[in-house]
Amino acid sequence: MIDQLLDELVSLQNPDGGWGAAAGNGSNTETTALAVAALQSLGERSAPDRVLRGVIWLVQHQNPDGSLRLNNVTNTGSWTTALAIIALSAFPEYQLKVLEAARWLLHQEGSKPGILAEIILFFTGKSKANELNRDLIGWSWVPRSFSWVEPTSYALVALKKVKSALGDTNIDERIHQGEAMIYDRMCKGGGWNYGNSKVLDYALWPYPDITAVALIALQDRAGEPANQESLQALRKTAAETNSGLALAWAAICLNLYGQETRDWQQRIDKRFTETKFLRETKTLALALLALNGGKANPFRI
Amino acid sequence: MLHRRDFIKYSGLGALYPIVAGCQPSVRWRPEAFRRKDLSRVAVLKAESYHRPLQDVIVRGIKLCNVDVKGKKILLKPNLVEFDPKGVINTNPAVIEAAIDSFRTLGAAQVIVAEGPGHRRDNEYLLTASGLYDVVKQHRVRYVDLNSDDVRPTPLRSSFTNLRQLYLPENLYNADLLVSMPKLKTHHWAGVTLSLKNMFGVVPGTVYGWPKNILHWQGIHGSILDINSSLPLPQFAIIDGIVGMEGNGPLQGQPKASGVLIFGDDLVAVDATAARVMKIDPQKIKYLANAGEFLGNLAHDRIEQVGEPIDKVQQDFQVIDDFKDLKST
Repeated sequence: MIDQLLDELVSLQNPDGGWGAAAGNGSNTETTALAVAALQSLGERSAPDRVLRGVIWLVQHQNPDGSLRLNNVTNTGSWTTALAIIALSAFPEYQLKVLEAARWLLHQEGSKPGILAEIILFFTGKSKANELNRDLIGWSWVPRSFSWVEPTSYALVALKKVKSALGDTNIDERIHQGEAMIYDRMCKGGGWNYGNSKVLDYALWPYPDITAVALIALQDRAGEPANQESLQALRKTAAETNSGLALAWAAICLNLYGQETRDWQQRIDKRFTETKFLRETKTLALALLALNGGKANPFRI
Repeated sequence: MLHRRDFIKYSGLGALYPIVAGCQPSVRWRPEAFRRKDLSRVAVLKAESYHRPLQDVIVRGIKLCNVDVKGKKILLKPNLVEFDPKGVINTNPAVIEAAIDSFRTLGAAQVIVAEGPGHRRDNEYLLTASGLYDVVKQHRVRYVDLNSDDVRPTPLRSSFTNLRQLYLPENLYNADLLVSMPKLKTHHWAGVTLSLKNMFGVVPGTVYGWPKNILHWQGIHGSILDINSSLPLPQFAIIDGIVGMEGNGPLQGQPKASGVLIFGDDLVAVDATAARVMKIDPQKIKYLANAGEFLGNLAHDRIEQVGEPIDKVQQDFQVIDDFKDLKST
């Protein structure tokens, strides 16, 4: 199975060295970073020339301010910078590039509603309609917009990985607040969706992929009751969802929490034979990481 | 007392709307850039069940609207925002399947199905759970994830938001006709979600995130207008009203059997007609009222309705309390 996924992933590499979302798509930072991370985790089996070309693609898409662009079309720094940090962290020769990216990431902040909005919310008594604490700042998808769980989780993993090398005095506070933001957005009963546990009077449900990503970001707080509750939610929702993406993220996460993942790996194998994961590069890369077990897991903090 | 739809403007989802709105230029579109038809044809056809053949109905609807699809590349854009086994959130796969067959029968060169779900990134799950995976596989139709498609910067042709351009998926540029295929639903922020609101799904998540929050921050109504005014290809609409959703849509409302499919190449006229089918006054939906000034026809006397008369198919769609005033009298 690993060989099959490896072949599939390698075949999707574009001539420019990067990977696109699927066959025929132009390269982008998200899928290139995940593909590089997945291949690199295989060690000697990893097709090192392919990995190197992917790494070069990433470095070539780094802006002078340290951020990485989404793709060949957009110019500004993006949320995918965190994924590039995670992937490039495995290459000591690129540590300076990693730290430049991390400094940029550290200074990105999600926005919150303005004073006028807060006043109106207060006087209408609806400041709790979303049941989220808007003062907790994490990371956003788009610069200068609201914080959400997935980009915040990637940022936390990236910054925690480079924390000691970065040595910025602000980093502990940003990590602490990012973690608090994620816990604040947890769904009732554990787990996360994109970042809203409730809208108006209706509770929203968790998604397994996002739950896994959030738990990965919080892996160094494994003993927290919220983590344990969310691990249960992850197992339940990933089994119900039964998609390559959900199963792969679940297996990567559970492995980081020291749990047995053989059953999840078998489900991934079975699902691949059924759907080929729609041949989405991201899922193929994550499945490769999941099947490779805990060896050189790039999401380990 | 502030109503809930006002609240969204000020909440975490739309917090800066009043500030943004206050900064908007007084001229929001250039009249010479938009030409409305004198009369827009909308077909309302009966379709009682998803379990009966729908292809004949859809072929008839396309023909009634005089849309030539021969040799064209068709992009079907259903509404596939989330999945709830107990709900009726998404465009039913039976309607999408019949549309694929219909456009092929009418000579389309290519049909693809494309969507950029607004909440979830897991396409494999949404497709398999909703039943759409079996349809695209069986009919050998390509499914494109618009969230992660290659993108092209697209200048906006109206200014209801502070956005000046949007990155839009390349597949919109590669198609000849964009077919919006929404569900007939009420919406707890926008009032109704029909063929115009369905276009939120063409905005790529990899650029704008999940949810596509920047559109909410810029204002839902303004974003709907700016997206639709700037699409780089002609559009057509097929609204799945066989079973719609009333109440707290777009996700948690209740099923509402309406037994209709609604067709047209003027999306404003189609949505206005659909709103009337729901006994909602389209003039009271902010984005529809604005759209009727430049994008398409909203007024009764500028819509040539064919097929079933509205009063024969009209259903009283329930709305949330804050939207009671949207109901037609």
